[in-house]
Amino acid sequence: MKNALWSNIFSNWQQEESQTVLTLKQVPIFSGLKPRELRAIENLVHVRTYQPGEMIFKRHAPGEGMYIILSGKVEIYLEPTPGERNVLATLSDGDFFGELSLLDDEARSAAAVAADATELLGFFRPDLLSLLERNPELGNKILINLARVISARLRKTNDLLTEAQQSRKHDDA
Amino acid sequence: MTTPKDPLLQIYRLLITLIGVGFLYVIWPYISSVVVLLVFAFLLTTILLPGVDTLERKIKSRGMSVLLVTVGLAALITLFIASFASGLYSQGVDFSQQINNQDYQNNLMQLVNNVRDALPPSLQDMLPQESGEKGGLIGSVLKNLSGVLQNLLSVAGAIGSFIFNFVMVLIFTVILLYEYHNFKRSLVRFISNKYFEIGLRLIFNIERAVSSYLRGQLLAASSVGIMSIIGLVILNMFGANLTLVIFIGIIAGLANLIPLVGPFVGMVPAMLIAVMNNLGNEAALHHHLFSVIPSPFYLLDIVLMFIIVQQIDNNFVTPMLVGESVGLHPMLVMIALLIGGTLLGPLGMLFAVPAAGVLKVIGQEWSFVSKNAHLL
Repeated sequence: MKNALWSNIFSNWQQEESQTVLTLKQVPIFSGLKPRELRAIENLVHVRTYQPGEMIFKRHAPGEGMYIILSGKVEIYLEPTPGERNVLATLSDGDFFGELSLLDDEARSAAAVAADATELLGFFRPDLLSLLERNPELGNKILINLARVISARLRKTNDLLTEAQQSRKHDDA
Repeated sequence: MTTPKDPLLQIYRLLITLIGVGFLYVIWPYISSVVVLLVFAFLLTTILLPGVDTLERKIKSRGMSVLLVTVGLAALITLFIASFASGLYSQGVDFSQQINNQDYQNNLMQLVNNVRDALPPSLQDMLPQESGEKGGLIGSVLKNLSGVLQNLLSVAGAIGSFIFNFVMVLIFTVILLYEYHNFKRSLVRFISNKYFEIGLRLIFNIERAVSSYLRGQLLAASSVGIMSIIGLVILNMFGANLTLVIFIGIIAGLANLIPLVGPFVGMVPAMLIAVMNNLGNEAALHHHLFSVIPSPFYLLDIVLMFIIVQQIDNNFVTPMLVGESVGLHPMLVMIALLIGGTLLGPLGMLFAVPAAGVLKVIGQEWSFVSKNAHLL
């Protein structure tokens, strides 16, 4: 049986993690961060709510950062011709998108729309730059994680390219 | 796709805006002083924020770094005011003794007469005639000076109100510095989803432009202040007999914050003190710059020294510290200064250029947003 007095005194020690921190933990960009560091990120991200069908960003729009899905569904799509929607991915709780915009201010390569009532966490370049100035140790951890995510994607792209070249050679032969 | 606008909704919005503006107009006289204090606190926060962030990086405590930076600033300002007050007190005592001295009055009268003789006859008639005793120009000057000394009590009242305002600004600054990033996060929450990213971008760019401009200006002002102090000390080595050197240097540095007009304003206290201290000194009256150009009371020497300081600042220090600054056309700087001066006097002139810089950044972002409006 728990002692009420002790559990009261140490109640702050066993703080329940918020939904935001629990979601952040699942994102590879924030993996390996200490609870204190995750709470610092929690104070940095912006919680945004979207109605079903509401645009998050359009293709070619200037990008300022990444989004993490707290709850709901997001469709990432291309529109080859007006009205035609080519859905690339449907993302749900804990998934993230738009992370390349943390590094450069290039335009978004695809559009994103809320497929459901959706709650997102936004983590933007100005916030990352401010974090790098105030807490470079934490900022660097995030940058290294970001580099890992991007290198894993690059490796996957290389594999796909190699596979495609091999199958082309095979077809030619 | 654009949705047709409901005219009723537009009328409703217009009414709400009009009521809001009317309400602000009515309560403005009651809140204006607090708003001015908040604006000062915000500007101070913008200047100090990089320092606090850097310290936070080192000692890993926001509260402690805010405390250290603000206590350091308060100590510096108190030290400056205390040293200035004691310097001003001794200068005031000397000066009041000199005023009561008949020789001083005679010397002042002689100086006025010399100046009058040197002027063309048409201009001579425009000056009031000296009646020998306490009439005419000198009499009115002396009367006014004794009036100023008698009104020191009202000055003490003004100092009290200044200290109160200063403490309030400092308290606001501490709170803003500590909660800056949280405040910003709470404020951007009100931006709609559609404009959220672009809003963040706008705030970030304005913050960066204003912060680098203010820091650059402050560093340039410090460099002008220090160079002026060195210049005045060098002039003193040649017998200029200037007192309150540090005070003159700081005034020159602060005046330098106002573009175009500031450098000239900065020379005035030095020239006044040179005349006050050297009145009756024949050697100073007949001093020649480089032993060639007549420079009574070292006035030309002072002007030359300030010109040299300005040249060093404009050509070497400012380009290095401020860089591109806000990159406004000189014509726009002048217009901004005139508008600022008309609206708020010297304070308006001080804020005119950073305000114009903020408007420029908003304009640039506005054009960026309009170019990309179809993508939002």
